[in-house]
This record gives sequence, C-alpha cells and structure tokens, in this order.
Amino acid sequence: MSLEQFKNRNVGTQNYKTLDVGTKPEKGMAQFVQVVQRTFKGELFVGLGVTMKAMLKALFANDMATIQYPFEKLPISPRYRAIHEMLILLESGNYRCIGCGLCEKICISNCISMDTRYDEAQRKEVSEYTINFGRCIFCGYCAEVCPELAIVHGPRYENASEQRAGFSLFEDMLTPIDKLNLQQEYDGFGAVSPNADENIKQTPLAY
Amino acid sequence: METTLAGHVVENLPQVTATGVIIKAVIILAVLSALAGFGTFIERKVLAFMQRRLGPMHVGPYGLLQIAADGIKLFTKEDIIPQNANKLIFMIAPIITAATAFIALSAVPVFPDFTIPEFIPLLGGTFVPSIASDLNVGLLFVLGMMAAGLYGPLLAGMSQSNKWGIIGAARTAIQFLSYEVVTGLSILAPIMLVGSLSFVDFNDYQAGGIGSWLIWQQPVAFILFLIAGFAETNRTPFDLLEHEAEIVSGYATEYSGMRWGMFFIGEYANMITVAIIASVVFLGGYDAEGALGWLFIMLKIAFFFFLMLWVRASWPHIRPDQLMWLCWKVLMPIAMINIVITALVILI
Amino acid sequence: MSEVQTVDNMITIKIDGTEFKVKEGEFILNAARANDVFIPAICYLTRCSPTLACRICLVEADGKQVYACNAKVKEGMDVTTDTPNILEERRAIMEVYDVNHPLQCGVCDKSGECELQNYTLELAVDSQSYMIPDTKRETVNWSSVLHYDPGLCIVCERCTTVCKDMIGDSAITTVKRGGAELDKGYKATMPKDAYSMWNKLQKSVIAPSNGTEFTNCSDCGECIAVCPVGALVSRDFVYTSNAWDLKRIPAVAAHSSDGAQIYYEVKPTSIENRADKIFRITNEWSYVSLDGSARFAYDFENANVSKDEAAFSAALEAFKKAETLRFNSMITNEEAMMLQTLKEKTGLKLYNPEVRAFQKFLAHYEAASGNSLWTTDTDAMMKKSDFVISIGAALRNDSPALKHAFNNVQKLNKGAGLYFHPVGDTLIPGFGKNVEIFNHKVGLEEAALYLVLDLFADKDKLPSDVKEYIESFKKSETKTIKEKEVKTVKEMVLNEETGEEEEVSKKVTEMVEKEITVMTNGLVDLLGGDASKFDDVFAKMMKKKESFSMMLGEDLYFHDKAENIAKLVALVEATCDITVVMTPPKSNALGVALICDLDDDASGYTVGYNENGDFKLSALGIGDLDMPAMNQQEGTLTNIGKRVLPTNAALEYAGYELNDLMKALVGAPEETIDWTAMLPVDRGFKAVEFDSLPNAFTNQGVDNRGYTLETNNVEADLPEVEKFDESLVLEGEIAYRCNPARQFNDFTDKSHEIFETFALYASVEKAETLGDKVEVVFENGSITLDVVADEKILGDIVKVPDFRAAEDVYGLFGESRYQIVTLRKV
Repeated sequence: MSLEQFKNRNVGTQNYKTLDVGTKPEKGMAQFVQVVQRTFKGELFVGLGVTMKAMLKALFANDMATIQYPFEKLPISPRYRAIHEMLILLESGNYRCIGCGLCEKICISNCISMDTRYDEAQRKEVSEYTINFGRCIFCGYCAEVCPELAIVHGPRYENASEQRAGFSLFEDMLTPIDKLNLQQEYDGFGAVSPNADENIKQTPLAY
Repeated sequence: METTLAGHVVENLPQVTATGVIIKAVIILAVLSALAGFGTFIERKVLAFMQRRLGPMHVGPYGLLQIAADGIKLFTKEDIIPQNANKLIFMIAPIITAATAFIALSAVPVFPDFTIPEFIPLLGGTFVPSIASDLNVGLLFVLGMMAAGLYGPLLAGMSQSNKWGIIGAARTAIQFLSYEVVTGLSILAPIMLVGSLSFVDFNDYQAGGIGSWLIWQQPVAFILFLIAGFAETNRTPFDLLEHEAEIVSGYATEYSGMRWGMFFIGEYANMITVAIIASVVFLGGYDAEGALGWLFIMLKIAFFFFLMLWVRASWPHIRPDQLMWLCWKVLMPIAMINIVITALVILI
Repeated sequence: MSEVQTVDNMITIKIDGTEFKVKEGEFILNAARANDVFIPAICYLTRCSPTLACRICLVEADGKQVYACNAKVKEGMDVTTDTPNILEERRAIMEVYDVNHPLQCGVCDKSGECELQNYTLELAVDSQSYMIPDTKRETVNWSSVLHYDPGLCIVCERCTTVCKDMIGDSAITTVKRGGAELDKGYKATMPKDAYSMWNKLQKSVIAPSNGTEFTNCSDCGECIAVCPVGALVSRDFVYTSNAWDLKRIPAVAAHSSDGAQIYYEVKPTSIENRADKIFRITNEWSYVSLDGSARFAYDFENANVSKDEAAFSAALEAFKKAETLRFNSMITNEEAMMLQTLKEKTGLKLYNPEVRAFQKFLAHYEAASGNSLWTTDTDAMMKKSDFVISIGAALRNDSPALKHAFNNVQKLNKGAGLYFHPVGDTLIPGFGKNVEIFNHKVGLEEAALYLVLDLFADKDKLPSDVKEYIESFKKSETKTIKEKEVKTVKEMVLNEETGEEEEVSKKVTEMVEKEITVMTNGLVDLLGGDASKFDDVFAKMMKKKESFSMMLGEDLYFHDKAENIAKLVALVEATCDITVVMTPPKSNALGVALICDLDDDASGYTVGYNENGDFKLSALGIGDLDMPAMNQQEGTLTNIGKRVLPTNAALEYAGYELNDLMKALVGAPEETIDWTAMLPVDRGFKAVEFDSLPNAFTNQGVDNRGYTLETNNVEADLPEVEKFDESLVLEGEIAYRCNPARQFNDFTDKSHEIFETFALYASVEKAETLGDKVEVVFENGSITLDVVADEKILGDIVKVPDFRAAEDVYGLFGESRYQIVTLRKV
C-alpha cells in the first residue's frame, strides 16, 4: 500500500460527496421562482408527515425505541465481557474452579489472586479468590484460559459500587446455590468451539 | 349594551369592577404560568414521541410531575450574575420578557367570564370578565406588547458581557423588528375586512360557521401571520436567538435559575398568545355558544401549539441571512400585494 | 573446584557432526550436557548411578544404539542423537508415559516445572496410540514431610536412586503395582525400548523399602526435589502454590556447615497478607543435595519487627557495660568481622564455645602440617575418592555433606570405607558392603589414627618411634585352621543314551587342616574390630583403590588430646596418600574460626547474641533487641568446602541490624555487605565486593558460588606425636552431645516442619531401660529430658542435643563431647 493517501494532510476534504442540489439561481426572480417551486412541491409537508407517522407508530403501533434502562435491559451478547462469574457444577454444586492459577498468571493487569489449600478430601481447594475490579480491564484472558469454564464473564455490567471491594469476593461471583437452575452455559470467550469434536483425536481407552 | 365574546348580546350584564379585573389578572398569571410549564412537558413529550422516544417518565405518572420537579429545580438553583454584567439590566431583562408576554394576554380573551358565587365571603358576587381589559384596539395592543417584548432578550444579551449574548441580542433586534413588519402587514388585510381592532368584532365577524372564517378570505394573510408568529416567538425554524449549536444559548447564555425560567415562561406565554390571535382572527374564534365555544377555541389553540412542536420536530432551522431574505424579499412583498388586492376587492 | 580439566584427560568426540572436547571416562550424556548439547533424559541423575528406567536418552554411538546415561565416551566416538529410529522410540516412550497419566495438571503442584509436561511438549506428543486399564492407586503420606501420589508417578526411580546413591538412607524402593498385563500385541507393533520400558513401568510403583507404610528415613526431602512429576511433594506444600508464582531467592542453607545451595521460594502469604512468605526450599539437585534442615527449616524469620529505639539504646548501654559477647556460629562472616572489630576497638571478649575448640584444633593442625586448612572437600571426594575413612564424626547428625559423600563414594566409585565412632548407627552398614565399622570406646580416636597410619602410611616416611609404637601392637600367632580345598577327580560314567562309557571330571571339596602364621593387629581389637578377620577384609577393601580421603568430625575438636590428634592427622597426611576434610561444627563455624579471636571463657556482664546473656540480641524474637534471622539478611557464609558463599535476604526485615549497633558504637560502613570486602585477607578471604560474587553452578556441575578461600600449604617437619593413653577411655554411663539429624540450632527448632524434639535420644533397648523421662546428671549440673527411642542408634551411649542455646548444654559438657553422667528416672 502506498503512502500517498497519508501524505495529503488536508484531512476531511477528500471524501465529501456532493448532493445534487442543483445550481443556485443568480437572479432574484429565479430565486423567487425556486422558493415558490419548493414551497408548493410540499417538501415541508413530507417532513411533517414523517414525524407525525413516527409519532403515531410509536404511540399506537408499539414502535417505541426507548428502553427504560434500570427497569428494562437489553440482552447482552455472549461475547460481552462484564463482571466475572464463577460457575459451579450442576450435578454436585461444587465449584468448577480447580485452583489451577492460570487466570492469576495470565491476568495482564495482575488483579486476580487466589489462595489454595489441601482439603480434607485430598483435593485442591480454593480457599479464597479475589479479583480487584479497580484494576481489571476486562480483557477476557482469564475466561479464555480457564480450562474448566469456571470463570466466565457474566452480563452484569453495572460496576458502580460504594466500595472497591464490591463484587470482588469469590462468594459474590459464585452462582448462588438456589439459582443453580438459572445458571447459563457460557458461550463467550474461551468457550468450547462448536466444531471442537472435529478438531480432536480420541484417545484410545482400555475400558 | 354589552357584547360578549360568545357573540350575542346579553342584557343586564354585570358591571366590570376593578376587583374583577384584578382577579382575572391573577388567574391569567397563575394559570398561564402553569400552562407554560405544562407546555414544556407537552413539548418534550411530543418531540420524544416523534423521535420514537418516551420523554419524561419517572416523575409522577407518565412523567407528569416533571413540571413540578423542574419548577423546584429552577426556584432552588443558584442565581448567578456574571461579574462584568450590568447587574440591574441583567436582573430586569427576564422580567421584561415575562411581563410583556403577560401584559399582551390582558387584551385577549382567556377563559369565559363568570361571577364568583355569593357564598364565597369577601369576593362573592364579583364579576370576572373573559378579557381582562376589553380594549377596542385589543389587537393593536397585543401586537404592540409583543413587539415591546423584544427588549427582554435584547437587554439580556447586551447586559451580560458575553459574546454569545451579544450575538443573541443582535439577532433579537433584527429578527423581531423585521418580522414585526410582516405580522403587522399580514394582519392588516383581515383588519381591513372586519373594520375593527377589537377581538370581539373579529369573533362576531366570523359567527356564521366555518364558511365565514377569515382563513378562507385571507389564506395568504393567515400563512404570513403564522410564519411571522413563529419568528416572533423564537420557534424553530426561526430559533436563531438562542440557537445552541451556534451561539450556546444566545441572549440566555449567562442566565440560570428562575431568571432563565422567566424567559421560558415568556416564550410559552407568547406562543399561547400567538395561538389565541391566530384562532380568533383567522379560525373563527368561538364558534358556538358557551362551553362548546370554549372547547372549540381551546382545540384551535391547542392545534396551533401542537403545530409549533410538530414543526420543531420536523424541520431544520435556517440561517440568519435566509431569515432576512425571506422576510424582506419574500414575505413583505407578498403581504403588501395581499393588502393591495384586499383593498381593491373591498373597493370593488 | 576439585578436578581441573587438564589436556591429558580430554578426548575428542563428535556429537551430531560437531566436535567436542570431553573428559575421558565420562558418560555421553554428561559430556553432552557439559557442552550444552541437549539429549532428553528423565531418569538419570548427574551424581548417581544410571537407572535405565526411562530409556529416552537413547543415542547412536558409532552406529550402535546405546543409552547416553550409561555409555562412556571413547576417543573419536561419533554420536548421533536423532536417528529416525531413536525419534520413534522417544515418541513412543513419551506416549507410554502419558498413558493413564491423570489430566489434572491444573491442580498439580508440579505444573509449570514438570518434566513430563516439558518432554511431552518437546517431543510433540499430540495423540495417543496405546492403552491399558488403569490401576487404582491411593495417595499416601510416607512420613511427616513426604506426600506420595502414585497416580502421578512415572516410576523413573529418581527418588529411589538419589535416596540410595546420594542420601544413603535407601528408604524407598520399587515394589509391585499389581497392574494389568500389557496387551501382547504391542510387543510386535511397538518400538522395542518403549515396550520394555512400559512393561517395567506397568508393574512397579514406589514404596518405603522397610515394608511398612512409613519410610522412617532422615526426612531430607531430596526425593521430592528430584521427582520430575508431581508424585512426590512436601506435605506442607501440597496445593498451596503454583510453581510460577514463587520468586526464587538464591541463598545458602544456614544450619549445617555444608553451605548447600538453596533457593528460598517466596510469594505473598495470602490475599489479605501481602507480605512475602517462604513456601518451600528448592535446590539445584543435579549438583547439590540437601539435608532435612536445609530443605525444611526455612520459616525461622524474625517476623513483624520494627525499629524499637528504646531497645536499641538499651543495647548500646549494654554493650558499653559488657565485658563479654557470647555468640554461636549462626552468623555471617560480615557479622563475625563486626564482632572482631568490636573486640579490637573496645576489648570486648568474644566467647563462643561451639567454635573455640574447632579454632584451636585448626591452629594445632596448621602448626603441625603447615596447611592452613584441610586439603579436600566433599565434592572432590565424590568425584574422585574410592576409599573414605571417617573418624570422630556422627555422620548422620553432624554433617550431612560428609554422610552424602561417604555414601556416594561407596555407591558410585565402587569404594570402601572405614567408620570409626563410639556410637553405633544402623545407617552406616547400608552405605556399602565394603564399609568396616569400628564402634570403639570413647577416647580412642588417637588409636584409630594410629591404625590409619599402620594401614596406609608409607613406612619409609614414618618416624622410627612411631613405626615401633605401631609394631608394638602386632602379635604373630600360629594357628591351625581348617580350610576347604577343591580337588578334581576323574571318573568313568556310563552314558545312558549312547551306552558308551565316558570320562567325566568332577570337583570334590575336601576339608584340609593347615597350620598358618597369623599376624594380629592389636589396634584393631582395641578399636572393637575382629583382628583375626580384618586382614582379609581389608585386603578385599583395598582392591583397585587409588584415591583415599579421611573425614574428621567434631569429636576430635572436643577432645582432651585434641592437639595430639591434630598432629596425628598431619602425620597421616604427610606419610599416607590421604586427603583430609574436617567438618566445621555448625553453620558458619569456619568463618567465625577464621575471623574472630575467640576467648576461652566468659566473664562479667555478658551480651548474648542468640545465646544466653545479661542482655540478649536475638534473631529468634525472644531477646531484648531483635536481630535479623539468616533468611532476612545478606552476607556470606564459609562452608566445609572452604568456600565463601553469598546468601540473600528472602524476607523483609524492618528492625535494627548488628551493623546499626556497630555504627553507633565504633563506626561502620553503611551496609552490612560493605564488610564483605573487609574480611581478613591474611586468613584466606578476598577483598571482593558482595555484589560481584557469582552464585551458580556451571553446566558441568562445577560449584561457582562465591570464591574459595586462599589456603597456604607450607612444607613442615613431621610432627612429634604422643602415644595414646588407654586410661583416658571413658567407662560407664556416657552421654554424647549430639543433635537429631535435622536439628542444629534454635532456628531449626523454630521451623514448623522440623519435628525432632529436644530430648534424650537412645537406642531402642536403652530407651526401654530409661523410661519416659530422665534427669541427666553431669559433674557441673543436670538437665531433665524426655527419652526418645531412636531406631537408628545402636549401643548404650545416649545422645543429649545442644540445639537450644537457652539450655546451655555446652556448659554441661565443657571441653568434651562425651561425658560420664548419671541417668535418673524421673
């Protein structure tokens, strides 16, 4: 690609398209004629018609564009990266998080930290987990790197909080056990691709 | 013999007393101030609907109490006077706007006349007229008062030591003065037909039903008056005085709180005045007897008010030079021709 | 370093077309590693014998497939590391390792530093061709520190190898797993080495070698260090941190005089507490092995200290009043230098009983031999020696490095050893078949040295009186013995198949009586050996032996006849071809001995530094003024290898340091490490800035940390030695000042992963007679201790530990390590 187009520093004048508005009449009479023509063409009334139609449709055909935000919310794309959620296993109610620490490692703003321990069942248990949302840039790497689809980005984008600690605790991000049935499988960042089965070779099993 | 606005002669009409006029004035002031506020609500709602929005929704049912909220806000807001402003004039200017708008209303019919019932102490039996001051030159008075309203924005803009204000003031002068000519000339033709400057006479002249409305005899005058009315009330597409995309807020740039609110009230009061004049002069005024007549005129006023909002939602505004061009090179000549033709028709 | 690469022992080989100069007799793998050539290898450990478990180091040498870890280089050898067949084998081996290996890298402690992960990626194993039903294998705890997950184990046997060849405990071994049989079809289809490796892997798993569920070993944790996967992890560390979160701080193990290289691995304590905490200790396990104290005694920091100005001014007052400063060897060279400066400027007495005896012994040794320090070190011994003699050292307890070296020589250099010590240790016989143990009576260390002279000395060099003295112990006897003799008898036998008679030779053993003259060595008998058998045994031991070394322990320094012993040692060095290593009693004893002029006794007002005193400076947080602990300060330590080693601060310390006191008292440079360049050059130190000290091993395994002390070896006349006095032998109830294996001082005691208690340690039989608790009565006092039965101790001598400074066990024992005591049941 040549640099020609960048060398023209007269920014903003290159790509104007001129509408076909005709030529401006020179003489007073011609101008008057133009005014009369335009006036009686009813262009102004077309404009009035448009707005009236829009109002009638909005009022009576339920074509209102407004979303009354705090009470109504638009659905969020699964690729949207809002406040994290920690999902849990549907069968057992255990955390999906296994405490592998990959999110902690990959986090480029260094805002995730976790404490793990060896629990009574001889498993790795995440005893504490926190994300510093004051620092988080919502890049989505943690959700992408998570091998268990445990940490995902939820739809909760209202981040205003009275304290910095808001939402940052594991318990706050975790799906409440009574809302387990409402837990949605995440298909945003890092989720299994629809054609994942085609891309892997099955390991032979002896049983 | 007294003639009422309802278009018939009533015997033994009660005497118009000073108390009645004062009560009427208070009523006009109170109701129209409120109506001006309500006008803002309606304007916001209508504009919203035309843009597929909801408009104010949260204060009161359907946002109805938004007026109260705005009022409280305006009343409680800090009144800022710029350091280098001419303080006295700066403070007086909004009062001029509001005052002239309401004074103009004293000569137009607002609400039917009534007598305060006897059981009310003190004021019982007082007659309250429809027109606070039924001048025989009512129309001239109203136009004059509205023209005097020019001083509000003009002084406000000049006193506030702000370049946007100055530009706004300059535009006020040229726009109001220019369109004063068109208003006067356009309404001259109906006056010639009716032969009176009294609103009552205009009403009586058109008492013969829709067919007798002056709009049919004077369509050009009607349109000219309407266009000039938009300009005089500083409405889109002629809202150059305070056009925010160009001059921030024009003459009102430095104003805040209730002083700014008074400009607002003045503007809406003027809109109502123009709507009343247009209704009475061109659309037959009170078509029917009593309450029905009042309903009709209300509908007419409401239509004009709505038209102003509708136009605002639909049309772009024009440049100052186009405004002047339109005034002096198009509208004024047409108005002149219209008068000449009307005069010829009357002579013949 | 010990062995200099000379032109003589270098040969040329070709690896993948490039020529390299390598040391003769080295394994191909080590030669390649020394020259930065990568050959994959999982099971091989540099200083241990090849296991041949993984078979992945397969290379082609001169057209033949060999294992790089056990094939030695030859002049002109042409090695190819990646023929198609080798690559196929390697790929198959890695696939086999990945069969049924749990896919739980996410929770595995080893993830990120796992060799299985690394090699699986290196060899690009992206699919699996083999399968076998898995065996259920339960996680077990082998000891208070060892956690074994057999599910993750790839049975590379590195743990068993290091435990046997380096540590000497041989506490773990491979046992049958009871897994499914391999599908026979694989034999035909799989690469050969991969199949046989799998066959072995599928059958085995690691378990304690004593047949119980618990290892009962010295808990050194070296098996944890060498484990390539997450199978072996410290119990304390399991699932607490990922490898990549830990920051490595190179340091020196502070407790024993080994001066082993370690890394403190730190990260913030928790989410709430962002202060660093040491999570574990790791080491360069290819080149250095740690003992339990080095690996597990790490959390002895003096935490939450701030500058206490009142205490500081009180300390200044105390120093002005003080006549004596009592300290121990747990200080850096820099601090020792400060104390010495203080002594020079203020006349303060420096009292350190722990080091004083050692310092005196060194002086005697230098006077007698002309050597300012001993002549070898443990690394050199492991590389070269094939005969080691240990005198006066409780190997297991005093010096882990010596124990490792003694064992390693037996295992790797096909060596032999003589072990002289009054206290029996069950571990020593396990080091090798050619280890002869003399559990002599207390006080006969001189006799042991005379025996060494007898056995090894060049008789021409020995002074005649010594020669005569030695000969005086020898008696010749004529004995009649029965001996087996083999005779060949020819017979004629009928062949049943052919029906012919054939002549057949038969060997017949007959017992024959013979008369022979036997020379018996009275010294052997005196030292508790069997003189009648010793000659034969010794002859066998001496076969093919070329390089001899002697280890000397703390018993000799704390000995009534220490001076004579030092002379005898000098005589041994002068007349025998034996190099000598001495173990500094603890930690930085050598540094203190070289730097400080110690006094023999304390008097007057005493300031104690980590010791008892009228005013106590303490890095334990129990004194009047806080000091930084060894993991909180920079500085250098001097170790058994005669090296000055830099150590770094792993944890924060906000309080006052000794240098601050020095500044206020006599003036001092800004930082503690500014003293490093001021260490006494006449004692062998170099004027080198701390920050310029290197701190790493080379690829050849050469210790390149810090610098080696300059030693001067002056030719000296043969010392005049005294005869030993048998009457000095102690008889009766004897107590031995000796710590349990992982305890050295208050700091190891403070560490939460060191469990050995402050108690009386006795053999199992002895402990039975003593009951639960005894009062040990010395001449000058007594101490009441719980009794712990230690299976590893043999004999009647009981061990009294000295690791708690507050108990002042040094005071009870005085100038000797052995004392006759009365044991009273409490």
